[in-house]
Amino acid sequence: MAAPSLHKALPSQSGLTQQDIRMLRRRALLALRYIILIVLALLFLFPIAWSFLNSIKLPAEALAVPPTYLPSQVSLENYEELTTYGKIGVAQHIYNSTVVAIITVLGSIVLSTLGGYGFARFNFPGKNLLFIMVLSTLMIPFQSILIPLFVMIVQVDLHNTLLGLALVYITFQLPFGIFLMRNSFLAVPLEIEESALLDGCSSLSVLYRLMLRLVLPGIVTVAIYAFINSWNEFLAALIFMTDQDNFTLPVFLTTIRYGIWGEVDWGALQAGVIVSIIPSLGIFLLLQRYYMDGLMGGAVKN
Amino acid sequence: MSVRKAMVILLALALCLGALPLAAQDEAPQLSMWVRSINFQTQELVDTWNANNESQIELTVIPSGEFVTKMGAAIAAGDPPDIASIDLIYTPAFASAGQLVDITDFVKELPYVDSLTPAHMELGMYEGRNYAVPTAVDGSFIVYNIDLFEQAGLDAENPPATWDEMLEAMRAINELGDDIYGYWFSMNCAGCNAFTFLPFIWASGGDVLSDDYSQATIAEDPIVREALAFYNTIWEEGLVPEGASIDNGSNFASAFAAGNIGMAGTGNFALSLYQNDHPDLNFGVFHIPGKEGGAASFGGGDVIAIPAGTEHAEEAWRFIEWTMSEEPQIEIYAANGQIPLRLELVDNPYFEGDERQSTAASALAVGHTPYTTVYNDLFNDPNGPWLEMLQIAILDGDIDDAIALGQERFTQIMEG
Amino acid sequence: MISQSSVLNLSWEQRRKLTGLLFITPTVAFVAIFFIVPLLMTIVMSFHDWPLFGERAFIGLENYQELGSDRQYLKSLDFTFRYTALVTPPIFLLGFILASLVRHNIRFIGIFRTIFFLPVVIGLGVSSLLWVWMLDDRIGVFNKILLDLNIVPKAQLFLGRPNTAMNVIILSVVWKTVGFTMILLLAGLQAIPDELYESAEVDGAGYFRKLLYITLPLMRRTIALALILSVIGSVLAFDQFYIMTRGGPRNSTISIVYWIFNNSFTYFKMGYGSAMSIVLLGILVALTGAQFYVLRERY
Repeated sequence: MAAPSLHKALPSQSGLTQQDIRMLRRRALLALRYIILIVLALLFLFPIAWSFLNSIKLPAEALAVPPTYLPSQVSLENYEELTTYGKIGVAQHIYNSTVVAIITVLGSIVLSTLGGYGFARFNFPGKNLLFIMVLSTLMIPFQSILIPLFVMIVQVDLHNTLLGLALVYITFQLPFGIFLMRNSFLAVPLEIEESALLDGCSSLSVLYRLMLRLVLPGIVTVAIYAFINSWNEFLAALIFMTDQDNFTLPVFLTTIRYGIWGEVDWGALQAGVIVSIIPSLGIFLLLQRYYMDGLMGGAVKN
Repeated sequence: MSVRKAMVILLALALCLGALPLAAQDEAPQLSMWVRSINFQTQELVDTWNANNESQIELTVIPSGEFVTKMGAAIAAGDPPDIASIDLIYTPAFASAGQLVDITDFVKELPYVDSLTPAHMELGMYEGRNYAVPTAVDGSFIVYNIDLFEQAGLDAENPPATWDEMLEAMRAINELGDDIYGYWFSMNCAGCNAFTFLPFIWASGGDVLSDDYSQATIAEDPIVREALAFYNTIWEEGLVPEGASIDNGSNFASAFAAGNIGMAGTGNFALSLYQNDHPDLNFGVFHIPGKEGGAASFGGGDVIAIPAGTEHAEEAWRFIEWTMSEEPQIEIYAANGQIPLRLELVDNPYFEGDERQSTAASALAVGHTPYTTVYNDLFNDPNGPWLEMLQIAILDGDIDDAIALGQERFTQIMEG
Repeated sequence: MISQSSVLNLSWEQRRKLTGLLFITPTVAFVAIFFIVPLLMTIVMSFHDWPLFGERAFIGLENYQELGSDRQYLKSLDFTFRYTALVTPPIFLLGFILASLVRHNIRFIGIFRTIFFLPVVIGLGVSSLLWVWMLDDRIGVFNKILLDLNIVPKAQLFLGRPNTAMNVIILSVVWKTVGFTMILLLAGLQAIPDELYESAEVDGAGYFRKLLYITLPLMRRTIALALILSVIGSVLAFDQFYIMTRGGPRNSTISIVYWIFNNSFTYFKMGYGSAMSIVLLGILVALTGAQFYVLRERY
């Protein structure tokens, strides 16, 4: 209360009006905000940028002690080295990660959509109980059931296969996926669906022809999460994959740390880091809105 | 294609979750072989075999620290490799669990069976049956840089024979410059220090395990404490580079090759690295001494075995038998500076006149290898009690705490 | 429609019920097979001496009794909670600061939000590899910068001492996860009507009074949610310790999940690992229960 009246009372000696001062102050604050934002943004970007810079150094320079700040020469040799690394080469591991991710994405979409639709739109005995069962699995961290999962996957001979790992990943995605899809279906007005049903469409074709389009944002969200989580997962992949040929990208990268004498090929490792970051980064940047929606829808709004 | 396949599989799954005839199995006619990352002649062995035989062996190198985990998972999953080159100390664990093929009948037929290195043969036995034969012989000893010894005014002809003499030599070498150090150890590498530190205790007449390997004797044997104090002095006085405290074994062999390290514990596996890749390195070899003299060595290395469940046991044995035959023993092992697996082949053209090789080979005469099924859990595991005890005693100087902790966790593990 | 249902002798209602059940069957079967069965198996296995391979035997509560005397297990529990207690405040505080900075829709703000969030979509395993390299004493960029600026006299072994190892791992995890907390808090911040602040300003309230009397009380539940999610993530930590320190130095960075992994897959004691999993599960159910409670209170 005191401050504004004081301002009013003061004659502006520099010839600035009251409004000018307020505007200048706001501008200064805004500039300060931008400066802080830019500094922080640079700090956040630094590790990725530094990794990228080193991946395009010559392999010898990437191993230099002490390190150089900027590459003396731009080279893709580290990436080339990566293509033949460990005899199998990175391509096989990209392929492994991709196949696992695709199965995970498709499986998560199909199961979450079917389950979400069922729980949102139908009434049947035991529905609430089953839904609570599905939801309660949100409480079970996968880390605590990895041991029996390993035993089971071995029992059905799916250990060390991309499909086996993908099944495990689908499982991890399901509780969140069902929850999100159920909410998506609930948000669709009932009338739209009813009119279609009365027109003689079967439930499956209503889902397929009509509802899928309306809940597409939810499906995209489920897909993004399934992809990024499966692409990045480390612990389960470490346990379920014993054969080097089947290692996914993150597990493969940890093996770059050990050569035959235990030395580390830092240049190739950074090239590998960049290669493994690009897909999830790309998908995130392209479909950011859906990712954020999922974060809000999954974690906050419910 | 794989996407389509994946979709089909997924559809099938969604429809009938119960019936799963989908296990993807490859029917490669070739044999798979695993080796831990330290064994370098294996690649040449496999290449030579593949060039001359119909059966093809695919070699997978597993980081030493992860070998037991990976092998265990593969065995549990029912698809272990057809051939495994295993750190010899793990053989009792795998053999006792019934996971290796009994090769007693094959071994009996070998005309040279009695000249195969005894420590490896012993570790490859379980309840009187053979489960493995040697494939890499690796005794531990100390290498020293003759040039640095001479610069420091030390007698390079007569390397140290007691702990005190070692300390004096280290101090003298440390004086030579800021970047020159008396010693090297990889204090974040569990296996490295079982290999090169245990012999200091053995050579002084002590041990961390009882004679029948049933109990831990860390707390009751005073030599253990003194050996820890010896290494603690090396660390406290800055006789090793600071980076040695965090080295996880990446520089176990290569640190000495840089030429600024006076002495380092190492083994046969490293001699070929020094000789082939660092011809200018002027170095000698001496046995790991006890406190007041004596000598000991860790009889290490790898044995080769056929994991249970393979369909190619006969072919696997054909390969194994070939690796022990004279030609590869001389032209691959000895030619690369590796000790032949058969004692009668130690006298070979490649070793003639190389005192270092004969000293290194003679280390095996004082070699000792603990026989316990929990060796990995005790010593080699990066999270095991051995490394933790060493780090606390040597790097932190809390020798009492370290010994109490070591004794407690060793006992707990050995009692299972 | 009606003719069809009469063919099947089922009423419209009955058909709807059946269809609904058919829709959820695959999903529920999946959850049952891959969540419920393993959960029951964990309980069963925890009462057994269950080696990775070889004979198994029922041993009652022995695994649970062993937990009390397993020094490393107790140390891991202690470490995990200490890590959680240390990593949560910086994640939360920085998350809050970032959320406040990017709250208003000023120009380019979307870019900044994206940048702060970017590390979240990178895998923790990969980011750990990135950081272990930046923290290296010889080849790492941090030592290079510190040495060039004469801040330190010689290269620091960041991951070589228990204290500094904890600190630098926390730094890396904050970088990796703070964007997530930021977005949660941002949603909470934006839900507060601007009018509240405006009228407070008219009353002459400064920044801290607004924070204390408007922002924090109204965001209570969002804050609780952000904290709980962050705590759960920290209790389950594994990748960063396995990759960056391998549990060292002095076994000082072995988390609970790490010790379960070691016992089950390195020492081959899956029964014992299961007993530890049950304890972990108990901790997690309590934390998630708290989360649900907070969420329920909202509506």
